[in-house]
Amino acid sequence: MGRFFINCDEASILSTRKQYGDLNSKETFRHKLHQRHCIRCKSFHKKNEFFQRKLKRLKWVAMSDSQKNIIKKRIAEFLKK
Amino acid sequence: MPEVKLIPEKWVDRYGDYLFNFTISRVNDPIMAQDLVSETFLAGLKSAHRFKGNSTERTWLISILKRKIIDYYRKINSKKGKAEIRMGYLSNSEQEGDWMEEKAQDLRNPNVEDTIEQQELGKALEECIACLPERYATIFVQKTVDNLETETICKEHDITASNLWVIIHRARVQLMECMNNKWHKDN
Repeated sequence: MGRFFINCDEASILSTRKQYGDLNSKETFRHKLHQRHCIRCKSFHKKNEFFQRKLKRLKWVAMSDSQKNIIKKRIAEFLKK
Repeated sequence: MPEVKLIPEKWVDRYGDYLFNFTISRVNDPIMAQDLVSETFLAGLKSAHRFKGNSTERTWLISILKRKIIDYYRKINSKKGKAEIRMGYLSNSEQEGDWMEEKAQDLRNPNVEDTIEQQELGKALEECIACLPERYATIFVQKTVDNLETETICKEHDITASNLWVIIHRARVQLMECMNNKWHKDN
């Protein structure tokens, strides 16, 4: 039975990993089980999910590989000099 | 505090996207943003001998980038003629003031409100990310913004997967706290 129960530290990490879809079914079960008897972790998980929703709505812009390569070339040329 | 050494070869991969996001939210032009980021790196290389190692690489690069953005706006504002064109448009047209409607966004439109909120949130988040320890910020951005695989990040930083998740978790907790404080201060 012991392996089904996790402490709050482990639960909070699982909560974070869940936001990135990194949990397997066992971990999901353990996390849910912990939340059923821990109000603090349940509340933290809700905040974590809210924060993730906000992050997902933000428009992150990343440079394309070609853009990065152009800059890398310029840096490499400068370093050669 | 241990001295920080510059590793220019890794600048683009480590800070490229972060600096690009920082710039694009301020200049609103992807091509100009790319140029400014590129110029920032080159300016960093040129003044590398002046880097004392008191701050982190990222903080130092951001300070250079901020100056570049200020210079960019100075250049734009020094270009003559813009104001006259607008004034002419105002005085010659019978539909005086229409240009304002074209330029200004309708704040009652929910999409505009949403966009403004996103921009404010984005800026607040950038400021909070800037307050994180460099390692935390880099790993958080790589996982959340760049969507890199856990393995890839672990290899780059030479850490285990469990270390990575602890770092991301701590970064998120600090960010949530920081955002909360900012929101309460501003409202």
